[in-house]
Amino acid sequence: MEGRSISTSSTGAESPLKLNVAAAASTALAIGSVAWYYHLYGSTAHAMTPAEEGLHPTAYPWVHTQWLKTFDHQALRRGFQVYQEVCASCHSLSRVPYRALVGTVLTVDEAKELAEQNEYDTEPNDEGEIEKRPGKLSDYIPAPYKNDEAARAANNGALPPDLSLIVKGRHGGCDYIFSLLTGYPDEPPAGAQVGAGLNFNPYFPGTGIAMARVLYDGLVEYEDETPATTSQMAKDVVEFLNWAAEPEMDDRKRMGMKVLTVTAVLFALSVWVKRYKWATLKSRKIVYDPPKVTDKFRS
Amino acid sequence: MGIWDTFTDLVEAAKPWATVEAEAPAEEPQEEEQPEEEEEEEEEEDDDEPKDPKEQLEEECKNSKQCAPAKHHFDECVERVTNASDDGEAKEDCVEEFFHLAHCASQCAAPKLWSILK
Ligand code: HEC
Repeated sequence: MEGRSISTSSTGAESPLKLNVAAAASTALAIGSVAWYYHLYGSTAHAMTPAEEGLHPTAYPWVHTQWLKTFDHQALRRGFQVYQEVCASCHSLSRVPYRALVGTVLTVDEAKELAEQNEYDTEPNDEGEIEKRPGKLSDYIPAPYKNDEAARAANNGALPPDLSLIVKGRHGGCDYIFSLLTGYPDEPPAGAQVGAGLNFNPYFPGTGIAMARVLYDGLVEYEDETPATTSQMAKDVVEFLNWAAEPEMDDRKRMGMKVLTVTAVLFALSVWVKRYKWATLKSRKIVYDPPKVTDKFRS
Repeated sequence: MGIWDTFTDLVEAAKPWATVEAEAPAEEPQEEEQPEEEEEEEEEEDDDEPKDPKEQLEEECKNSKQCAPAKHHFDECVERVTNASDDGEAKEDCVEEFFHLAHCASQCAAPKLWSILK
């Protein structure tokens, strides 16, 4: 008790000026330290320039990515044609067997015929020799090069990646690959550095890609007479590559629909069952019948 | 596109007379008149290669009001850099400006392009 009274009496009443200065100074310190903090740590650090990041692809309104839509199998057919006639000379599609094409892209006969155009190793025969046989539906689409080294040697040191899972393997998926294939400008923008043997493509991280533009208007001739413009071929081949990476998509969406339908039926059923089980509870009537009050008790 | 398509698709799939063919459908005898017509069309198409609608649409978009700021910056940069490199010292490039313009143009052209492509 005493100590406190002494201390208060010794300082006396604070002058309003001192108080105001203290408040102002502490506020300034607070604001200043926040500003200093944001100056030091506030802005995000970019490890890469926008050119190194690459241009983010525009989101295109793909129909097959909608919840209730399937692949357009006519487009898959066209896309497979583009893959075969254009991309297959550099890119493998090693995870796709001919049998997977049956019923989605080709008919059985077409797929068999295609498989038979290539030779595959047989099992060792009685003398242990491995011979060649024509392909079967269970074989996988052959790669253009024997191994990665051969692929690099033929492409200026750059490895054309396998395209089986490329749609899943790149940020932006379909949009990225479509943009990449159609995005080669006639000439790089002023001042841009393009390395030797590289081509300017804004969508490729670093903007210098070893693959030159491959799609040109009228490059393939579609059997369904769709005009084979650059963007049409790119769209078709991307949808095909999406199928290659995600062949279960159509079934997956149908399974989702099944789940929702069955759940809806079960939910409706459970509502009716609940109504039935609760009927007695809901329809009962509780009546309070107070006992007659007689004068006897009151007095 | 839209929810209505879903219903028509479902009805189509549920119809007992809808067929799914894994085998090549039997070839239908073609009418005699058809090939003549097709030949005429092909001849017309063969004269000029199909034109890519993407390039055309993006060109229009680049010159539209929507992309005017990006185009302005890009053109200005190209002028600046070409002048500087003529003098022998270009210290910058127009990649970023190009990105902004290309992004604007492709975003503007995307829905129009998809309405044209099959
Ligand atoms: C002349 C050979 C050649 C042809 C034809 C070719 N590519 Fe390529 N592609 C390459 C090379 C080489 C690379 C590696 C580029 C790099 O890493 O710089 C590549 C890379 C790619 C990539 C990966 C880009 C990334 O983000 O890493 C995709 C996707 C691709 N190509 C798709 C295609 C498609 C689709 C076609 C057919 C329309 C095609 N390519 C035709 C040589 C080719």
